[in-house]
Amino acid sequence: MIIYNPHNERIVKERIEKAEQILNQIPAKHCFITGSFLYKENYKDIDIFVITRSKKKFKLNKKKAKITIIDFNNLHSLFYHSISKSCIAKNILPKKSLKVTISDYWSIINEAVPTLLNEKNKYHKNVRFLILYTEYFKTNNILDTFQLNKKIEEFKSYKEILKYIEETIPPIMNQKIKSSYLKKFFYTQAGVYKDVLQYDAQRFLYQLSHKITRGTFHG
Amino acid sequence: MVDPEIFKKRIEEKISQDYNIEFLGKNFNHIVNSLSEIKAEKMYAWVDDVFNEKIRPIVIASKKSYGEWVVNQLLTFRYQFSMGNTEYRILFVKVKNSIYIEFHLGDHKYYDKVRKDLNLR
Repeated sequence: MIIYNPHNERIVKERIEKAEQILNQIPAKHCFITGSFLYKENYKDIDIFVITRSKKKFKLNKKKAKITIIDFNNLHSLFYHSISKSCIAKNILPKKSLKVTISDYWSIINEAVPTLLNEKNKYHKNVRFLILYTEYFKTNNILDTFQLNKKIEEFKSYKEILKYIEETIPPIMNQKIKSSYLKKFFYTQAGVYKDVLQYDAQRFLYQLSHKITRGTFHG
Repeated sequence: MVDPEIFKKRIEEKISQDYNIEFLGKNFNHIVNSLSEIKAEKMYAWVDDVFNEKIRPIVIASKKSYGEWVVNQLLTFRYQFSMGNTEYRILFVKVKNSIYIEFHLGDHKYYDKVRKDLNLR
């Protein structure tokens, strides 16, 4: 068993043994547990990840066990790099270099904004990718599950997340994308939102796209 | 237990259009059959909210074709729910400022397939 804990977070002691027991029940070489089961006395789910090419379903006799299958082709994703950063694994986990694009990032924002406005303050589960990607592009740091939860808990309401998007994303885009491509990309986005401005989510994205292309920020 | 035919009819009535919407999904009838009345009522209310523009869609700036349409012409409304340990999603697809064309209902695996066709994350 391998414990990945680069930031020396406090893992609930008895969970280490429990995690090992659970992982030993899974007939796969590469599997790991991360999330609140390791760090919190009271946890909601046991987040188990299995890296496999097999299509068979894994079942455990644990009510809270939530198994997610990860394909070997997805090991380059920011998601995998984040969840595997702090975890308890059965064996040494396979690593692939990170591949993440600005276009992927915008897809995340494009879906997160309407979801956030639909869910309002039930946002916690749905903003994980948005915060993970934003913090990565902002600081070059990949948050692990513990850090990501902590960051999400800093927000008091969905309105604070909208403000975070408005303030953080335009400077990131301007730093990461060449000016000529940036204008072309965001004018195309704005053109699609323009037809559906009756929705506040697309109005927000439309204004955000324009703010990015204008490229002047305060603060 | 909900009758799939009644379920479809209730949705068709709510969106009242001449174009026949397609109800799609592996195990569609089985999933609807397993719904409680309360869960089904929540879905009808959600369809009402979609129709009344209270639910925000996802809009993708892609020129990829999707059936006889292009992805950037479509609005996709997403609804998530769970039964037992399984999560399900509804994807309700509308042509911008026009008709509703598809109502997808399925588990994560089915969702994964449809989302790729629609260029969703």
